[in-house]
Amino acid sequence: MAGLPSTIYNTVFKRTSTFALACVCATFFFERTFDLGSEYLFEKVNEGKLWKHIKHNYEK
Amino acid sequence: MWKPTKVQSYLKAANQVVSNNIAPLKPNAVIAPKPVTLIPQNPQCSFALSQLLPDGNVRISSGPAVSTQVRWAHTDINVPDWSHYRRDPVKAPTAKSTDSEEGRKSFTYLIAGAGTVTAAYAAKAVVGQFVSSMSASADVLALAKIEIKLGEIPEGKSVTFKWRGKPLFIRHRTAEEIATEQGVNVSSLRDPQHDNDRVKKPEWLVILGVCTHLGCVPIANAGDFGGYYCPCHGSHYDASGRIRKGPAPLNLEVPYYEFPDDTTLVVG
Repeated sequence: MAGLPSTIYNTVFKRTSTFALACVCATFFFERTFDLGSEYLFEKVNEGKLWKHIKHNYEK
Repeated sequence: MWKPTKVQSYLKAANQVVSNNIAPLKPNAVIAPKPVTLIPQNPQCSFALSQLLPDGNVRISSGPAVSTQVRWAHTDINVPDWSHYRRDPVKAPTAKSTDSEEGRKSFTYLIAGAGTVTAAYAAKAVVGQFVSSMSASADVLALAKIEIKLGEIPEGKSVTFKWRGKPLFIRHRTAEEIATEQGVNVSSLRDPQHDNDRVKKPEWLVILGVCTHLGCVPIANAGDFGGYYCPCHGSHYDASGRIRKGPAPLNLEVPYYEFPDDTTLVVG
């Protein structure tokens, strides 16, 4: 009966305070991951079009 | 309850009355019955309509044409199968819901938490965008700085520049002036500030040329203290830009500045 779900439920989700804290902390990591991921995807899609990809042709 | 027996005499003008179906408690006098008009009922609300319906058992309950068979709902009405919508741990009829309660609640809260996290991320992005729109743009910031070659300003001279629409005084102070200003007793000043707090290099005084009284532009190398003098209302500033005499309440403002090298001054 007492497994991972019940542990998580009792430590995190049961109290509103811990739930809110978990949301805030998760937002921090989510933002970092999401921003980096979307940036990486953008550069992957626009490979060869961005200034930093063609910079070496114009600058020494 | 007091019953107005004499009121009826005032109702004589009426030639017909509407029955309220309440019998008078006690007739005081014999009054000739008035013609009663029955107003046909015109049902307009659901209650009035329901009053018109026949109530009680209105069907034929016995006789040769009446079937005795009774139709029970549970025998032939198909109830839809909702099990697709139900959580797996409670699908079995024998499962105890308390056994899987925490797991099911965890899942629900996990979904809610994921939504909260996404919403917080989006809200932060929106707020950040609005706040950053309030800050100065790059072209404004580029104009907000002024670079001054210090070699062009001889010692003992105060030069005026225009910076952010305001006059900017750069004063190349002599050793004598520096010694005088540093020796001033701070407690005797109206706006107490030591000379060292107002300059980064003692030879160079950088101040805004706006009188702190009413905003006139002071005149350099004038006044009783050898610094600046405001002609509008006679405020005297010393060679450190501090108010010494006159109506102005505060010292001349020192903007942010720095010396990238020995011959250059950047204000802003």
